[in-house]
Amino acid sequence: MAGKIKKMLDTIIASKSGGNPTLAAATTTKLILKGLNPNKFTGQSDDDPAVVDKVRNIAAEMGIKL
Amino acid sequence: MKIKVSYTTEKQTDAAVSALKSDFSGMETKAVLFFASSAFPPDELASAMEKAFPGVSVFGCTTAGEICSGFMSENSIVAMAMTGGIIEDLRVEVLEDVKGNAKGALNKAIDAFHAHFKIPLSEMDFNKYVGLILIDGLSGTEEILMDAVGNVTNINIIGGSAGDDLKFAKTFVFAHGKAYSNAAILALVKAAGPFSILKTQSFRILDKTLVATKVNEKYREVIEFNGKSAVEAYAEAVGVPAEKASDAFMRYPIGLVIDGDPYVRSPQRIEGNSIVFYCNILEGMELSLLESTDIVADTQKAVADMKNGMGSVSGIINFHCILRTLELKSKNQVGPYAAIFKDIPTVGFSTYGEELFGHINQTSTMLLFA
Repeated sequence: MAGKIKKMLDTIIASKSGGNPTLAAATTTKLILKGLNPNKFTGQSDDDPAVVDKVRNIAAEMGIKL
Repeated sequence: MKIKVSYTTEKQTDAAVSALKSDFSGMETKAVLFFASSAFPPDELASAMEKAFPGVSVFGCTTAGEICSGFMSENSIVAMAMTGGIIEDLRVEVLEDVKGNAKGALNKAIDAFHAHFKIPLSEMDFNKYVGLILIDGLSGTEEILMDAVGNVTNINIIGGSAGDDLKFAKTFVFAHGKAYSNAAILALVKAAGPFSILKTQSFRILDKTLVATKVNEKYREVIEFNGKSAVEAYAEAVGVPAEKASDAFMRYPIGLVIDGDPYVRSPQRIEGNSIVFYCNILEGMELSLLESTDIVADTQKAVADMKNGMGSVSGIINFHCILRTLELKSKNQVGPYAAIFKDIPTVGFSTYGEELFGHINQTSTMLLFA
């Protein structure tokens, strides 16, 4: 399977920012500082289970349901 | 007057605090933020500052040098008094035992903010609220605190790591009349008017990439870049022999580049074939080699651009990396740098690290009030 990570990261950014571009940029920066660069994942990226878990944990800490 | 700054070079705590009190007399002060040399006895200073300003939120930390409008100093105290024209509401929380339980301490503070402001941090408007964070600069907890607080809120949390005049022995944060080590202060401000955040660093991004392929996160240590020993790979990127690598640290740090903006990671020392940094680098992170440019010119432009955008600036709080201060000193540029702020009420200090979204180095993070 592929593309799950990109979708999860996009959901986090959309949910955290509510569509505000400043907040979307800030959330992207926070994710990159956590070692998850949304720009490095595409719809074709493998669903690496370790990365999927990491993204899921981050979402939970941010109070976001994926 | 919405903001006033003061400084003192009095050596005795009581005399120093009296001088600040006298300068702020007659103001309807809501908060006093102060940055003090580690030369002052911390408990005595915290207590004296609290007593000098009854009914006012008083908080601050120790430094590796102080900054005030138009000058930089050492062995002094600088302070900013803010009135209701700047701060509509404020709550100052102490996060204790951050080395043992940073997240627990933060959660307690978050609950206290919620109770005080009657709104959860997660729902606060980032245009109205801002957080100021001061962290024990030797606790090594900046990343965990900034990461955790960034998860629960969209408001900007800006600040610095307390210093101790380069002794690297013990740093303190101050609030509620006490001095704390192994602690952080988080002050949440509901601003009375507009404010802006500025992050500025003076580096050119070079076309050399270092991917951290093996790290020891806990010790901020990179063991390997690009599959080679960290020292060898770094030296190769800079173009110097490995034994000269540490000579290049100040001029050539590395940065996590986000939208063309580097989040600087400064090498601190070599240990064997590893490099220990002043902040964390995660395994797999792709970093760019940076080359220093002109701090004075870059800061002047950044502050001027911000001033133009805001219309007017009534005060600046400047969290300024000690490595920038050392570079300014080595280039005889302390005076010109300080002069950038001579017409704006400014306080700040030379930090052991700067905070904005995360923990960064060789940067200035500033809070500007309109």
